[in-house]
Amino acid sequence: MTDAAPIANPTGKSGRSKPPAARQRRTLFWAVPLLLLPLPLFLDQYKQYVANLILVYVPVAVGFNIVIGNLGLLAFSNVAFFGIGAYASGVLALKLGWPWWTTILPAGLMGALAGCTASVPALRGVRLFYLAIMTLAFGELLRWVYIRWVPVTGGSFGMSVPQPSVLGWTLSTEGQKFYVFLVLAVLAVVLTDRILRSRFGRAFMAIKDNELAAAAMGIPTDRYILLAFAWSGFVVGIGGSMYAALVGHVTPVAFDLTELILEFAVVMVGGLGSLVGSVVGAAVITAAPEFFRGLPGAQELLFGVLIVLVILFLPRGLASLLARLHPIFVDRHYRD
Amino acid sequence: MLAVLPQLLVSGVATGMLYALIALSLTVGYRATTVVNFGHGDMVMAGAYAALVLVGWGLPYAPALLLALAGLFLLGAATQRALLQPILAGPHLSLAMMALAIGYAMRGAARMEWGSEVVTLPRPYEQDAFMLGTVVLTMDELVIAGVVLALLAALVVIINLTPVGRLIQAVFQSQRGAALVGLDVHSFHGAMWGAGAALGAAGGILLGLLVPLTPDIGVYTLIRGFAAMTLGGFGSPIGAVVGGVVLGVMEKLLGFYVSTVFIDITAYLVTILVLLIWPSGLFGRRAAVRV
Repeated sequence: MTDAAPIANPTGKSGRSKPPAARQRRTLFWAVPLLLLPLPLFLDQYKQYVANLILVYVPVAVGFNIVIGNLGLLAFSNVAFFGIGAYASGVLALKLGWPWWTTILPAGLMGALAGCTASVPALRGVRLFYLAIMTLAFGELLRWVYIRWVPVTGGSFGMSVPQPSVLGWTLSTEGQKFYVFLVLAVLAVVLTDRILRSRFGRAFMAIKDNELAAAAMGIPTDRYILLAFAWSGFVVGIGGSMYAALVGHVTPVAFDLTELILEFAVVMVGGLGSLVGSVVGAAVITAAPEFFRGLPGAQELLFGVLIVLVILFLPRGLASLLARLHPIFVDRHYRD
Repeated sequence: MLAVLPQLLVSGVATGMLYALIALSLTVGYRATTVVNFGHGDMVMAGAYAALVLVGWGLPYAPALLLALAGLFLLGAATQRALLQPILAGPHLSLAMMALAIGYAMRGAARMEWGSEVVTLPRPYEQDAFMLGTVVLTMDELVIAGVVLALLAALVVIINLTPVGRLIQAVFQSQRGAALVGLDVHSFHGAMWGAGAALGAAGGILLGLLVPLTPDIGVYTLIRGFAAMTLGGFGSPIGAVVGGVVLGVMEKLLGFYVSTVFIDITAYLVTILVLLIWPSGLFGRRAAVRV
């Protein structure tokens, strides 16, 4: 096989240059947010609000997907991270008078702390349905805390969060919020992409495929599980602080089991374990509840049926359809 | 303070019986298919609403209840065969999500129909209270305890003394072995899932005697069913019953002697602490794996 070398490097360029597919991906990646920049010129306040909500759900779905998709653990604690982020941001802004942009990082750190807490059962060896039930109980316990810790959280009625501001500028319109949210959502995707492409991501994949084999090969599985939960909590917590800034009113009802299903639907419909899927799922699913405001129950019925259909007929979600359209969308972080 | 202890124990056992029934119905489906039904609470809810509808049509109570149970059996068996069986070999996440989504769709359907009104199941008997020394015992508590004990006795008889029981035992021991000797394991899965749904529906109807019905009672029952199951040991029928009764008594005792907040959060705390500290529960096998 003397002619193997030219085939391996057909362009004849140096080994450090990127293959064309990676360049195309990178172009596409930056083209999407750039093309979105003029969006606020075309949308009224309400439509802009829905677009902002989609941006809120990008980090939420990305964070959720790390644990259930990339790490493959059945942990339902995502709504807990989301709620903690929202409440952390809200309490700091309302009770301590911090401007909103300084609460983003603390909200993420609180989410990361909650992620470390939620990973304790997983580190103690609780898996499968047991882990799902425990994390479900954890989330419900937190919701009970939001309701009962009235002096801090405002109880069932929740609390009103002051208008968000960045570096002294008040974000008074939805369009202004849009640009800040776009930056945060892009950061969440870029940083998570970096992590998933590093040895961390490969370790997650190894743990998902076969935890015992991964441990036997010398991968410190405990450390990576803790890290995945912490990063998931961090990203989702930031999503929570964006949510508080967008809605302006944080209530316990926003973090109940219905929210869990919504986040599940985003991840499942978009594509389990796929970054592209998280973004696509957020775009497709998040807007849906807005259409069902006057019809209680219709949204639950629709999402339930939708998830059933996706699991049966499109188990890899919309991301797998995109991957069939063009190799750019093929996911590099995930294998079956 | 100690004077109320007998009263707390009696009412705790009565509520605990209800939790026991929910946990038992979860266990039936879980033991047969090794899939936890995250939508089970909504089967419980559907059972209560089915009874409400049938009684509302003017049916006498007994046939209405039997029809409601039969309906839930069919619903459970049909969803298992059509939606869960095809993905049974797939990842656990899909199975959990599927069960959750089925329950979610049912809850949505119930909310579209009854979301804005508070409905209650009429009692088929006169509400009454009896005094046993200083302890007050209500008719509701007696009915719940009686029904649960009767169902439990029926279950014990079926498992131990009938051909159906031998079939259950065979599939528990080895699904492949049962299939090899010609047993229809797929139908068995569907039937057991249906049986779990019907038992859960019985629990929902009893719950409807105590609290007004809303489409969300499923969540409340599911959390308590899980807590009872983990406390008793996952997959053990006796454990489910004992765990349910212990949970009911714990709620009452902690709620009275320590703080009323425990009435709400005992179930969550029990679930978390038992799985962390004592994963096998009372009658189960170890639930955790260490790598």
